[in-house]
Amino acid sequence: MTDEYGVEIVEQEKVQYIVVSIGNEQYGLDISFVDNIVRMCKITRVPKAPFHYIGIINLRGEVVPLMSLRRKMGLEDDTFTDLSRIIILKTEEQGLVGVVVDEVREVIALTEDEIDRNAQGSQSDKGNYISGIGKNGEQLISILEISSVLNEVEVS
Amino acid sequence: MDVSQYLDIFIDETSEHIQSLSDNIMILEKEPENKDVINEIFRAAHSLKGMAGTMGFKKMQHLTHDMENVFSEIRNDNVKVNSKLIDILFKCLDAIEEYLDTIKSTSNEGDNGNEALIKLLNEYLEGGGEATEAAQEPAEEAAPATEGEKAYLSLELDDPSIARLHEAEDAGLHLYGMTVHIQKDCLLKAARAFLVFKAIEDFGEILVYNPSSQDIEDEKFDLTFHLIVSSASELDPIVASISEVSEIEKVEAEAVQASAYDEKEEKKEEAPAQTQEKAVPEPAAKPAAAAAQQKSANGNAASGKGSANKPVTSRTVRVDIEKLDALMNQVSELIIAKNSLVSISDSEQSGDYASQSFHDQIEYLERITTNLHESVMKVRMVPIESVVNKFPRMIRDLSRKLNKPMELYMSGEETELDRTVVDQIGDPLQHLLRNSADHGIEPPEERVRIGKPEAGSIFLKAFQEGNNVIIEVGDDGAGINTDKVRAKAVERGLVSEEQAANLSQKEIIDFLFNPGFSMAKQITDISGRGVGLDVVKSGIEALGGDVDVKSTLGSGTTFTVRLPLTLAIIQALMVEVRDEKYAIALGSIQNIEDIPVGDIKYVQAEEVIHLRGLVIPLIRLDKLLDSAPKEEESENLTVVVVKKGDNLAGLVVDNLIGQQEIVIKSLGKCIDNNKIISGATILGDGEVALIIDVNAIF
Repeated sequence: MTDEYGVEIVEQEKVQYIVVSIGNEQYGLDISFVDNIVRMCKITRVPKAPFHYIGIINLRGEVVPLMSLRRKMGLEDDTFTDLSRIIILKTEEQGLVGVVVDEVREVIALTEDEIDRNAQGSQSDKGNYISGIGKNGEQLISILEISSVLNEVEVS
Repeated sequence: MDVSQYLDIFIDETSEHIQSLSDNIMILEKEPENKDVINEIFRAAHSLKGMAGTMGFKKMQHLTHDMENVFSEIRNDNVKVNSKLIDILFKCLDAIEEYLDTIKSTSNEGDNGNEALIKLLNEYLEGGGEATEAAQEPAEEAAPATEGEKAYLSLELDDPSIARLHEAEDAGLHLYGMTVHIQKDCLLKAARAFLVFKAIEDFGEILVYNPSSQDIEDEKFDLTFHLIVSSASELDPIVASISEVSEIEKVEAEAVQASAYDEKEEKKEEAPAQTQEKAVPEPAAKPAAAAAQQKSANGNAASGKGSANKPVTSRTVRVDIEKLDALMNQVSELIIAKNSLVSISDSEQSGDYASQSFHDQIEYLERITTNLHESVMKVRMVPIESVVNKFPRMIRDLSRKLNKPMELYMSGEETELDRTVVDQIGDPLQHLLRNSADHGIEPPEERVRIGKPEAGSIFLKAFQEGNNVIIEVGDDGAGINTDKVRAKAVERGLVSEEQAANLSQKEIIDFLFNPGFSMAKQITDISGRGVGLDVVKSGIEALGGDVDVKSTLGSGTTFTVRLPLTLAIIQALMVEVRDEKYAIALGSIQNIEDIPVGDIKYVQAEEVIHLRGLVIPLIRLDKLLDSAPKEEESENLTVVVVKKGDNLAGLVVDNLIGQQEIVIKSLGKCIDNNKIISGATILGDGEVALIIDVNAIF
C-alpha cells in the first residue's frame, strides 16, 4: 500500500475487538467470534445445569444457552441494567453461546504490537481467560481468549 | 440410451423385488407345492431380469436369467424344491444384493461374474427332477472341483516364475502342481492356507502361488488355491501332510514339467486374442480373488472420477399418493384461510362482527396447521416392515448355522416410524435377535429334556403406545441367569462382592449393557465378543429411545425398545412450577388429579397417593427442578399422573396451563448433561419453556 507521496506504509494486520465492561474492568472480544449483540431478554433457568450457565434464551426462534462471565470469573453475580447486553458468540464446537456483559462500549482495532502478551491476569485461582492486555491510548483492555472461556469444563 | 436418470427407480424397485423374492422363497421352503408363491417368485425374478437388462447390467441380468430358468422348471414341476436349492437361491439373492450395493455406490455393477453360482444353478437344473437331496450333494461339491481341476496346469506365469521353475528342474528337483480345496464352511481360510504352506515347506519350496501369496493372506480367494512346488521328495508324503491340515477338503496334485508352462507362454504370444478368451473362465474359478485384483485395477480409474465411496443416489422416501393429496388439500385450505384473514383486515366492518369472524378464522387456521403438521409427519413415516422383513431370512440362516431349530414370529410390521429412526433401528434389532438366537434359545436336546418344544421361538412385536413406538424382541429360551451375571460382574471388578449381593435383579441385568461385558462362554461369529448390548443401548438412546429387559430364568428374555414416534413436534401439556413453565409430553400422561394434602400417605418415608386401588409415588417437581421454595402449601395439590410402561408416578405441579403443540429444540451441547430436561421449546410469546423427560424420572 502506498500513501499519496508514494511512500510505502507497512500496515500491520489489525484485529477488531468489541470492548465491553464487566465490573470495573474492560474486556475485548475478538469480533470474528461475535455473531450478534442483543438486549437482555427473558432468561429461562435450566435446572441442574452447570453453575456458570444462567439459562437459555430465545434468539429469533433458536434456543441459545447463556453463560455468565461473572460467575465464570468468580465475580459477584450479575445485576441486569438497561445497559446490560448479551453477546452471542459463535464457535465451531459449541455453536451459539450467549455471554452477559454489563455494557458494550465500542469497537477498536488493535495491531499485535499494541497487545502485551506477557501481562497475565493475577487471579490465577479463578482460571485465566486473558490472552493479553491491549493498549488503546490510555485504556487497558484485557483480551479474552474466547475458546478457553467456552470450552473449559467447569470443575465443581 | 442414457439410463442414469432411472437409476434411483431401478435401485428402489430392485430392493423391492429382492425382498419379495426373499419372502416368497421362505414360504416356498415351507410349502414347496404352493403354485401361487412360485408364480409370484417367477414374476419378481422376471422383472428383475428385465430391469437389469434395460439398465445394461449384464452380469446381474445373467444371474437373474439363470435363476428364472430354475423357477420356470419348478413351475413346470420338472425340479423339486429342497433346502439345498433354497440355499443356492438365497446365495443368488445375496449376490444380487451385492450387485445392487455396488451399483448404489458406483452406479456400476462391478466385476463379480458369480459364475460359480450360475454353474450351481445350472447343475441343479441338469440334475433335474430326479435329483434327490442325496444325489444333489456330490453334484454340488463337484462343481468347484471341475472348475478348479488341473487349474495348476493352465496357470499363466510371468517370466521370472518360469525361470525359477526351470532352475529348480535343472537342480534335479521334482516339480508338482497342486490345487488345494478348502472346506466351504471354513472360517479362517487364510490361516488354513498358511498351515498348508508350512506343511509344504517341510518338503520343499513353493515357487508359484495363484492367487498371489499376498491375496491368500488377505483371504482374497475363494475356496481353492493353486501352487507349484519344487521338492526333492516324492509327491505322496507332501499330499498326505497337506491333507492333515484341518478343514482342507482335498488336494489334487501331480508332477509337472517346467516346459509345460513355457509352451503356454509362447502360445500366448502367438495368439493374444485367444488367451484373452481363455482368461474369462479364469476369474470364474476364483471370483473373489479376481474381483479383488480387478477392483484395485479399476480403483485408479474410479478415484479419478471423484470420491468412489460417496453413494450416487440420495435417500428417498416413497410416499403414498393419498398422503400427498391430503397434504395438497391442506395447503389449499391454508391459502383460503389466509385470504379470509386478508379480507377481514380489508373490510370496512368493525366491532363485534369483525372480531368474531377474525376469531373464527384464527381457529380455522389453527386446525389447518395441526393437520398440516400431521400430514407432513406422516409423509416422513415409513412402516418398520422395510427393516424387519429381512429378519426371517436371518433367523433361518442362524438356525442352520447354530443347529438349533427356531422360528421367528413377527407382528406389527405395519407400525410406522420416522424415516430417520427406521433407518437406524435395523442394527440394534438385528443384534437383539442374534442374541436371542445364540444365547437365549437352548440347544434342542436341552429343550426337549426340560419339556419345551424342540423348536425355539423368537418373537418381534411392534406397536404404538402414546407418543412412543414399542418394539419387543424376545425368546422362550433359558432367560438370564442373574447369579452368573453377578459373579461375572464381581470377577470383572465392576462391583465388590458385598455390593453385588445387595443388587436388585434389574441392576444386575443392567450390567449386560456395560461395554465389553459378554456372557458367552465362547466367541462365535454370531455373538459373544462383548461389543453388543452396550452398542444396542447407545444406538437406541441416540434416537431418543431406551431399552428395558425382562427375564425369567428358564422361560425366556424380552427386550423392550421404546422409541419416540416423531422427533420434532409433539402435543404437550404445559404446566407451571412457581413462575416457570414446563412441558410434559401428552403421550406419557395418564390423567390429572386434584389431591387434598391430607390424602398423602407415606411408604418408606416416600410420599405416595392411593388412587383407585393403585399406589402411586408422588414426585415434587419443584424439588426435582430446584425451584424456589413455596411460601405456603396449598390445600389441594395438582398431580399429573404420568406413565412409563406399567409404572405410574404423580408429578406435583403448581398450575396447569393447557395443551399445546410444541416444537422440540435441543438445549445445545453445553447444558446437555441434564437427564430430566429433554429439550426446550419456544412458546407463542417468545418465552422458552423446558420439556420434562418423563422417562428419566422413573
